[in-house]
Amino acid sequence: MEALKNAFDFSDQPRLDLTIAAGVALFLLTFPLLPVSAFALATMIQFFIFSLYGMGWNTIGGYGGQVDLGKAQYVGIGAYTTTILLIRWDIPFWFSMPIGVVLAVTWSFIIGYPLFRLKGHYFAIATIATSLVLKDIFEVWEFVGAARGLEISPIEYTPPDFLRLIFKEDIYYYYVLFVFFLVGILYLNWFRKSRLGYQLRAIKDNEDVARSLGINVHWAKIKTYAIATAYVSVVGSFHACYIKAIEPEDTMSLDISILIALMAMLGGAGSLWGPIIGAGILIPLKSYLKEWLGGVAGLTGMDLILYAVIIMVISAKEPRGVWGIVERVRRRKQT
Amino acid sequence: MEILASSIVAGLLFGMVLALVALGLTIIFGVMDIINFAHGEFLMFGMYTALLTSQALGIDPLLTLPLAALVGFLLGIVCYRGFITYILRGPMIAQLLGTFGLMLLLRNIALLVFGSEDRAVHQGLLVDKSFEMGLGIIVPATKLAGAGLSVVAFIGVWLLMTKTRMGKALTATALNPQGARYMGISTEKMNALAWGIGGASVTVAGALIVNFWPVNPYVGLLFTMIAFAIVALGGFGSVPGAFAAALVVGLITEIPGFWDFLTYTLEMDWMYDVPMTSFKYMWIYVAYFIIMVVRPRGLFGWKH
Repeated sequence: MEALKNAFDFSDQPRLDLTIAAGVALFLLTFPLLPVSAFALATMIQFFIFSLYGMGWNTIGGYGGQVDLGKAQYVGIGAYTTTILLIRWDIPFWFSMPIGVVLAVTWSFIIGYPLFRLKGHYFAIATIATSLVLKDIFEVWEFVGAARGLEISPIEYTPPDFLRLIFKEDIYYYYVLFVFFLVGILYLNWFRKSRLGYQLRAIKDNEDVARSLGINVHWAKIKTYAIATAYVSVVGSFHACYIKAIEPEDTMSLDISILIALMAMLGGAGSLWGPIIGAGILIPLKSYLKEWLGGVAGLTGMDLILYAVIIMVISAKEPRGVWGIVERVRRRKQT
Repeated sequence: MEILASSIVAGLLFGMVLALVALGLTIIFGVMDIINFAHGEFLMFGMYTALLTSQALGIDPLLTLPLAALVGFLLGIVCYRGFITYILRGPMIAQLLGTFGLMLLLRNIALLVFGSEDRAVHQGLLVDKSFEMGLGIIVPATKLAGAGLSVVAFIGVWLLMTKTRMGKALTATALNPQGARYMGISTEKMNALAWGIGGASVTVAGALIVNFWPVNPYVGLLFTMIAFAIVALGGFGSVPGAFAAALVVGLITEIPGFWDFLTYTLEMDWMYDVPMTSFKYMWIYVAYFIIMVVRPRGLFGWKH
């Protein structure tokens, strides 16, 4: 009960932020009812998916300061678990999703234990390596469809199927995901004020001091890594039901891992709203750039060139993200 | 046994080329503690340089090596002056994502300019020729020449790093940038130089690899990951370590082929479904992971 109260308690945030957040929430709630194109709706679903990934990453990468570039492997575990359980044994989403989380978290403990003995660059590259190992295995493993991947054929089910999360119209996916999104924010709000949340920020600031204060640094990192994994795996499961065709390349590639981290960094790692701001800027930008420029003959890759330039400018000029700018402006006002 | 011997020879030869690929990465890391995701893209530009100039001028790709080195040197300096110098002071995540952005940029420029299709060298002095080394070991001439020239280039860079005044300044910058600055070494210049040398050595490696490996704009990432693994195995910043580790990695990529050969000749039919060759790059990452966890400094590392 106490935890629930804490999750809903946003009173430490400035009133301005909360007003804006409420406005955005209202906008998101009514968005599909406005006359918008199917493309815009699909983009918004991507926005929700990636802001949830970003929130998950933010626990370990933002509050904990551990640069994790291997989150895509858990997207893959979640997505594959849901798909396989559905097409082989007809187990619905709401049962397969927790199973996926259990599998992903177990795997995260297995590799997290050795991983967190590393620091800095070594940790970052090791997370990439584990993700690539899993992707290579999935690309050869016949049971999971090897490199061809798996497909959920929607004909076998009668949409709207809320148990299996098979719908014809994107609007259903939108609202299901919106609920996930709100729950994600509430959990993160609880997390940042929890004991583990404070321990993690201490670790980020100075690991040796944190250890001398009696914090079990290694274990705190592993636990947070598992939380981040759970977020990503849940959304991975959802992604499988939404896309209905998964393959190792588009669930587990390095690009996904990097995009997740990028989202949080652009918005401001280690802040409550950061990943949402990041996803809100980057996802529409990416998908509309592709829509406008991707199809133009002779300009193949032009959208990705612009995207790359944006990444480079952000990391050179404003590595603390949008939230960093906001905080700087506020500090200047106070003094 | 002949198959094993030829796997080992092929692995060692490929490893020698990989050593040159990893050399640039280890120098850059050693000097300024930055991981360069765009490393494989430098290699890709080296491959295109060699391929296109040799086709345009009708000369052998091996003669384009100096041009490839020049392209790589300039590319390295431009990337450093234009971009890397701005992200050096930022947090680590900005450095990682920044070089990732550089990688995307270079890759997609290549896509825009060269197109997405595979291209390969079809004409040249060495193409389609092979040497018999005894014991039934047959080595393609392109790979033999690639390995030999890689070793020459590797030793050249190593001598440059250890024997010349400039190389010593570079090493000093790597060991202690502040101390080096007190001694009157311009560390900013040394950083740019490290990028130049790193870029040049990897584009030369690319120009050698293009003789036996088709090139497309997406070829870079695999080599980036292999180079990361080599640098980590050999110890970040260690030049001799990179060479030894590259040989190990070369063997790791070639031995699975021998294993598959065994499963077919010994009729171990339970192994038929999972050919080891499809895992050959996975073993590199596994080896990297194990070494990192057991011995984070790498096999010969000095920096941590």
